[in-house]
Amino acid sequence: MGTKQIYEERELVTALRSKDDQAFGYLYDHYSGALYSVVKQVVGDTEVSNDVLQETFVNIWRKIELYDESKGRLFTWMLNIARNAAIDKTRSKGFQQSSKLQPINETDGAYATVKPGVDDYGLKRLLFKLKEEHRLLIDLSYYQGYTHEQISKALAIPLGTVKTRIRTALSQLRTLLQ
Amino acid sequence: MNVKEYIQSGVVESYVLGVATEAERQEFEQLCAANPEIVEARDSFERSLEIQLMQDAIQPPAFLKDKIQQQIVSVGSTVYQQEEIEEAPVRRMNIWRALAAACFIGLLGVGYWAYNTNQKYNDVVARQSTIEKELQQKNTELAALEQDASMMQKPGIKVAALKGTPNAPQALTTIFWDSTNKNVYLLVNNLPQPASEKQYQLWALLDGKPIDLGMLELQQNRLLVKMKNVHNAQAFAITLEPKGGSVNPTMTAMYVVGNL
Repeated sequence: MGTKQIYEERELVTALRSKDDQAFGYLYDHYSGALYSVVKQVVGDTEVSNDVLQETFVNIWRKIELYDESKGRLFTWMLNIARNAAIDKTRSKGFQQSSKLQPINETDGAYATVKPGVDDYGLKRLLFKLKEEHRLLIDLSYYQGYTHEQISKALAIPLGTVKTRIRTALSQLRTLLQ
Repeated sequence: MNVKEYIQSGVVESYVLGVATEAERQEFEQLCAANPEIVEARDSFERSLEIQLMQDAIQPPAFLKDKIQQQIVSVGSTVYQQEEIEEAPVRRMNIWRALAAACFIGLLGVGYWAYNTNQKYNDVVARQSTIEKELQQKNTELAALEQDASMMQKPGIKVAALKGTPNAPQALTTIFWDSTNKNVYLLVNNLPQPASEKQYQLWALLDGKPIDLGMLELQQNRLLVKMKNVHNAQAFAITLEPKGGSVNPTMTAMYVVGNL
């Protein structure tokens, strides 16, 4: 099954590069749900999620030439496009005015947008199995897109510690995924 | 470097999830090129992540697919052309800018030319007006001189040369007397410049009596100075008198004298 999937993925990439509409239709049917789920975990709001998903697929279509198979799977590449588009959206003026998303700062204790029971699906559900300190760092870096330096400053944790904790948290995630 | 430890450090997950720093990312890609185990670990995590996320998929609203596909079609196969089109307006902008700049510079040039030409025109007009005035003046002077010259050639004109006395041996004047209308004209050939409070006075002499013919007002650009009429005269003389003249000539101050 594994080899078949790789072949299919290669075939799909080739078709997309030749601007094949049907291949795009297949791509959308196959992956839109997974990407939509990730986008919703970042932006929350449904209508905004629709816009971000649209941006994501248009970008995939336009930038397919830039996809490098040697650096990872097609899904991983698309996942990062979706996540980046979603984080960009949360940082846009219009979005910040219309949502309760708080900028990261030291006086505000409530950094995490992760709340049990509200959006406990996908990776986020797995996050609750992590230690609090780890969960916060994953949330800030993965779902809110802050750099290690920004997190280090905001939480007053040494940069090295931020890196170590994120890595530890991620290796735990991996175990949870398997 | 212990590859196993590196793989278990969480860097693989950081890289795949896109939360690695730029330095970590570059290091990871370099190590992948040399270590198939790392690539394998990466691929393994990617697959489990993909499986998990595919399971958690949430279907987006159905209308979204059509909307996106329509946008794909319009953006779609013309991606590269679009990049060319995106460049074209920039060039066009430049052409318009260049044209505008050229027009502006041209306008400046024309403006300067017009200003300059207008200045020159004004200069020429001013000079022409000066020249016209000068010409008019010269014409008037010439007409006067011609009038004087024709006067001297007139039939019935009698001429008397008044020569210098011992007061001024070099002095010389000429009298033109029109015997028909009795007009008297004086031509100053040479007379010393009088002192400022003095003035020359012309006299006619008839039967030993002096007749006043007026004060000599020296005029520039005239040959002849018209003096008072006299019905008859045997001689003429000029004396230097106080300004305004005298009733009788000061005989000691006679400068020229001559018979008709």
